[in-house]
Amino acid sequence: MNAVDEDDAAVAALAGLPYMSWDRLRTLLADDPPSSVWDAVRGGRHGPGLARAAARVRLADVAAAHAAAGVQVRRLGTETYPGELAEDHECPAALFTLGSFDGLARPRVAIVGTRRCTNYGRDVARELGRTLAEAGVAVVSGLAAGIDGAAHEGALAGGGAPPIGVVGSGLDVVYPRRHARLWERMAQAGALLSEAPLGARPEPWRFPARNRILAALAHVLVVVESHLAGGSMHTVRAAEERGVPVLVVPGPIRSRASAGTNQLLSQGCHPVCDAQDVLAALALRHAGPVPLTLVGSGRVAGAAGDGGSGLTEWRSPPTPEAEAVLDALDWTPTSLDTLLARIDRPPSRVSMALAWLEREGWAQSQSGWWQRC
Amino acid sequence: MIATIPSASLLGVDGRPVTVEVHVSNGLPGFTVVGLPDAACRESRDRVRAALLSSGLTWPLRRVTVNLAPSGMRKGGAGLDLPIAIGLLVAAGQVPAESVEGCAFIGELGLDGSLRRVPGIVPLVDALGASTVVVPQSCAAEAGLVGRHVVRGAGTLRELVDVLVEAMPWPAPVDPVPAGQAGKPEPDLADVRGQRVGRWALEVAAAGGHHLLLTGPPGAGKTLLARRLPGLLPPLSHEEALETTRVHSAAGMDLSDVGLVSRPPFRSPHHGASAVALVGGGSAWLRPGEISLSHNGVLFLDELAEFAPAVLDSLRQPLEEGIVRVSRIKQSVTFPARFLLVAAMNPCPCGGDGGPDGCRCREQARLRYVRRISGPLLDRFDLRVLVARADVGELLSGEEVESSVVVAARVRAARERAVERGVRTNAALPASRLDEVAPMTAEAWRVVEWHLRRGTLSARGLHRVRRVARTVADLAGAEHLVEEEHVCAALDLRVEPARLEAAS
Repeated sequence: MNAVDEDDAAVAALAGLPYMSWDRLRTLLADDPPSSVWDAVRGGRHGPGLARAAARVRLADVAAAHAAAGVQVRRLGTETYPGELAEDHECPAALFTLGSFDGLARPRVAIVGTRRCTNYGRDVARELGRTLAEAGVAVVSGLAAGIDGAAHEGALAGGGAPPIGVVGSGLDVVYPRRHARLWERMAQAGALLSEAPLGARPEPWRFPARNRILAALAHVLVVVESHLAGGSMHTVRAAEERGVPVLVVPGPIRSRASAGTNQLLSQGCHPVCDAQDVLAALALRHAGPVPLTLVGSGRVAGAAGDGGSGLTEWRSPPTPEAEAVLDALDWTPTSLDTLLARIDRPPSRVSMALAWLEREGWAQSQSGWWQRC
Repeated sequence: MIATIPSASLLGVDGRPVTVEVHVSNGLPGFTVVGLPDAACRESRDRVRAALLSSGLTWPLRRVTVNLAPSGMRKGGAGLDLPIAIGLLVAAGQVPAESVEGCAFIGELGLDGSLRRVPGIVPLVDALGASTVVVPQSCAAEAGLVGRHVVRGAGTLRELVDVLVEAMPWPAPVDPVPAGQAGKPEPDLADVRGQRVGRWALEVAAAGGHHLLLTGPPGAGKTLLARRLPGLLPPLSHEEALETTRVHSAAGMDLSDVGLVSRPPFRSPHHGASAVALVGGGSAWLRPGEISLSHNGVLFLDELAEFAPAVLDSLRQPLEEGIVRVSRIKQSVTFPARFLLVAAMNPCPCGGDGGPDGCRCREQARLRYVRRISGPLLDRFDLRVLVARADVGELLSGEEVESSVVVAARVRAARERAVERGVRTNAALPASRLDEVAPMTAEAWRVVEWHLRRGTLSARGLHRVRRVARTVADLAGAEHLVEEEHVCAALDLRVEPARLEAAS
């Protein structure tokens, strides 16, 4: 299954040359088979720089490395290349993949967002990832720190449809490093793909290029949190070019991490208040069957505040003392100091009420900040 | 032809008695000092000679040998100038031996014969057994703090010799500086607007002797709060005051206008401080560091994350043991270092702007910043609170807040309870005694269990939380049982410093 032939190795070697952008690679490979292009590059037809770099690479080594790592090379024009991507005008010349591609046949939703996310964003991304995966949707994301990783964690936790991770570096170069576990689980339970061969460093220019693949693979793009300028905005532009609907999770207007997403809302993107909104958009877009009723917990936690959403209440009703504290809590992080100023009670009584609220799921704390949930 | 004069030399913060033996005999004129003198001590022969000559005394043109006994111990500093000079005069017959009987001498000589102050006069005098101690006039008041000796001050060598030779009356004994008349009033807690959590944490820290870490954005008032901690602590007992005074004196601090250090000292070294500056040491003269200078008081480390990590980790052992052992190849000394550590830091390099989401730092930069503080050190802070910027309304409101005096009264009462339990403060309660002195109600155990199961509390953290809960209960006047609210308060006062738990 995992045979790496000479042409595959040649593509991998070519893609691994310094500054080999995807469009340059496609131009190189446009007319000739990869192995003859490789020979031409080594022969210096495409300049001495490439020839020198190519002289240091042995095709046999490249082939052996990819075979050993279990990485499959899917060249454009061969039957292993995903048809969904082949139609894209900016599709990569070759894909390097790990894991199974079952998810590609399903409706696909890309969940992206900033690396510098807030707790709110992380929670929403995780919850969306989980709910959508449970509904049979393949969650596509970039495995980056912050929102991307959270979406994948959620998708894996639900045990639903296998998620797809599109990464910028080589599949053996885990970036960010602390996602090593997540990376591994993705390769097992879902699929990892990259247009960079093994060993490619996470150079900054690779990520904007990666974002176009995300957009090309998605039927619907969901942006959870984004700063005004950021990689997610790049993905949004790529999606708009391709006519992929962009849905946006609204955020507090004072949160910098939501400045970009809120701006997208004001420009006319649809808001996402729960996974149902995403599925509705997906039904309009995806030709295949899309489940319009959700399995499991229904709405995204935190979005169901007014009690009218039909969510069954499992939390015990707060005692009068706890209720007073709960009333003083915000939906955004509040410091203990602010709470004490709002509630005229001894600090230790407030602490006790907060602890009760946390145990019962009415409130949560992080690093000394409290908020309702 | 031989004279023996008692004196003392400084080792660390302790004085060691030294006997200065001077022998004058026939032979080629010469002057030798034996008995392991250091450089400053060996140079004393030139100072002594010049001082004698300029005081109108005669330099014996004979062979002079000075032995500093016990000869195996290194002696440092210039404080032995005066005993050498007096010993020389007695041995040469210029001063009658009877007149110096029962007298010990300490002091540095100037070339003009004046007597100069020496560092560490308090521990030096404390080490002396003689009934009368003669010291330079400028440090006579400090010498009197020890209280066991008759202290005589002299301004110049000539003055001293006149008294000894012509049996003129000694100048009246110098009164010791009245204790506690010291300097500036301590800043008051009433000046702090808002900051309920910060004030609360200060009170608990003062009452239980718990180390305190204040985390918050710049300008939130961390330093303002920390400076108010000494004002909440009770005054030092006489023994504590003497201990602290000895350290300050040994570090060469001028105590002439302070007298006995009777209020808890407050030290705030700059974050550029080296490990030696903090824990003490040095090559020639082992000097107590900042942690010893804040013995029985407060050590405030502002901008904790800016200190070199190695410097901070050198605090761990003294924090556990209350003393610091400084060892050098030739000697090793023990300094007292029982202090209350208060540290302040920003949550991240940019300082954040108040909320957990207000940070503009890159993830990497943020992690690098918080990792500068090692886990073991962080663990020693029983109290870790967030100091958020005060609400504007509260900042401007004229509402009266509690003053230091009110809080200090509660602190004192809580501390007395700890003393009844046989420990200095609750922070020193051994884990084995927690069940006996801080039993918890079933509800309190439930709270703890929930946190243990969730992984937000470790087994070691549990002991620390129980100690703090004991203090909170003491402040609330709860006699025996530690209740749920006290444990919840202790948990709330021990938050993970912002964002230390890095994003998943």
